[in-house]
Amino acid sequence: MIVNISPNGVPRLWTHMITVAAISLVFAGCKQEEVTHARVPKPSPAPAASSAGAMPPMAAPGGMSGEVPPPPSVSASDAVAWTLPKGWTETRANGGMRYATLKPPVQGKIDVSVITLPGEAGGELANVNRWRGQIGLAPVDEAALAKSRKTVKAPAGTVALYDFTNEGSTPSRMVAGLLVSRGNSWFVKMVGDPGPVASARADFISLLETLRLGPN
Amino acid sequence: MARISSLLWGALTSLKLTIVCLAALMVLVIACTLAQVKLGTFAAVDVYIRSWVVWWDVPGTVYSVPIFPGGALAGLVLGLNLVAAQLSRLELSWGKAGLWVVHAGLILLVAGEFVTGAFQVDTQLAVEEGQTVNFVESPRLLELAVVDVTDPQHDDVYGVPAAMLASRDAIQLPGTPVTLKVRYFMENSELTRRTEADPPPMANQGVGTGITARELPRESRDDVPNLTTVFVEPVAGGKSYGTWMASNALAATQTFTHDGRTYELSLRHQRHYLPYSVTLKDFKHDVYPGTQIPKNFSSLVHISNPGRGEERDVLIYMNQPLRYDGKAFYQASFGKDDRLSILQVVENPGWLLPYISCALVAIGLIVHFGISLRRGMRRRTSPETTTAASGSTAAVEA
Repeated sequence: MIVNISPNGVPRLWTHMITVAAISLVFAGCKQEEVTHARVPKPSPAPAASSAGAMPPMAAPGGMSGEVPPPPSVSASDAVAWTLPKGWTETRANGGMRYATLKPPVQGKIDVSVITLPGEAGGELANVNRWRGQIGLAPVDEAALAKSRKTVKAPAGTVALYDFTNEGSTPSRMVAGLLVSRGNSWFVKMVGDPGPVASARADFISLLETLRLGPN
Repeated sequence: MARISSLLWGALTSLKLTIVCLAALMVLVIACTLAQVKLGTFAAVDVYIRSWVVWWDVPGTVYSVPIFPGGALAGLVLGLNLVAAQLSRLELSWGKAGLWVVHAGLILLVAGEFVTGAFQVDTQLAVEEGQTVNFVESPRLLELAVVDVTDPQHDDVYGVPAAMLASRDAIQLPGTPVTLKVRYFMENSELTRRTEADPPPMANQGVGTGITARELPRESRDDVPNLTTVFVEPVAGGKSYGTWMASNALAATQTFTHDGRTYELSLRHQRHYLPYSVTLKDFKHDVYPGTQIPKNFSSLVHISNPGRGEERDVLIYMNQPLRYDGKAFYQASFGKDDRLSILQVVENPGWLLPYISCALVAIGLIVHFGISLRRGMRRRTSPETTTAASGSTAAVEA
């Protein structure tokens, strides 16, 4: 018999154990919110067919229906239009940051997106570094940005053109055009395996040259 | 003092306390069910069931008063009451060993629920074919992520929980000179492109300068997430970097640079980084031939854990989760034309307790049955019983 009965009949050991258990549970249940810190390797490049630049997909409990609805789309008067190269197809998104998805007639992993954001959308350097991060490249500074920038003349304005290739263990290439028009930033971006992107690059540049104001 | 102890022990072992606790839990369940209309399931459960006290906001004031014990408190008292009642009422002897084990199993079952409620973390891992991820995300909780992307090899990720943004004015990022001043927090909001008729934007930097945020009541529908928006002002080395808008409705990552280090700002689902990475090699969505009726969903993933020198493929399919490093990865959902797999990731340190408690109850019942059987057998074979039985037979025959 291990129970120590006190003179008044209360088992002391049990009362002590119950008290300790109760206090432990109460303290264990109090979760303190705090800033977390993690040092992690650079994220791997997103697959070519992913929604580059969009939010990571996240379903609400129980299914896919809870994806975060997008903010309102750009008004028709501020919209930018383009002419598709031969063989290209287009899917228009229902609102949101991704304005349209284009599909070139090449095999392999490749994704062409048109994304719009109001204003300068964080600035050219921030966006270019974000793109570089998506294919596993380190950020650049203003000087390196200026060196890598080329331009394409279009009716809607001058398009800044960038072409980056990651030749690492998962090779990938990105060709992207940035146009600021009527207070909105337009990103036309082609990303994928280096081969397919190289095949579609000439058509992509010709598409950038057709960017103009007005609804498609 | 001894008298007070005796009184407390008497109250703790009282069956009246059991009834009160059960009644309180019933009231809480009803109140929680009704509150779900206004608060939504998860918030109502947090307010009524997973709380120590239910608070009532006094209308027209900033004060809240406790009005009822919460589910956690009622459950804890009920658990303690059951334990104490057993200790005081059940005789401590070998003859009752089976019953002791059965009761211990039942108490462990209740305790397991408590551990699950307090410690279980539900997250999701969304990964596309060919993609490698080293984090899981909370489907409901958000964080303001401030990522130092300066290092070409690594990112330093600081996650500020949305609950902190809602309750603090200034938040210091540990190990950095950066302090975030929270200018305004909207748990739910509506974003529209700014027009000239709108008031001046709260943000004077980044994408928020072109967007107007209007505060909305908290979303009560479980399948519609809140569009949370926060305005923060990073301050470092005595210099302000302006006020930025961050929202889970915005994809744009915004950056500021201090002292040669570049920081990215974004509001996103709360992330928990893993010491290993998961690559989705193939996702399969099989249907029965000639129909669209799902037959099987499976994800072939590759686990890479440099810390353990582990590289292996695992097939996760319905009802066959991967249990790894304290987490269970279940096939939960899919999307993007079957290229995206979503795994429900459950981390529950008490996941074994229900199994142990069931085993204890089964063992206890077997032991109790064995003891009773042995007692019965002895009774049948003892001389007094035999004589009495013979006597009875003779009487019947006579």
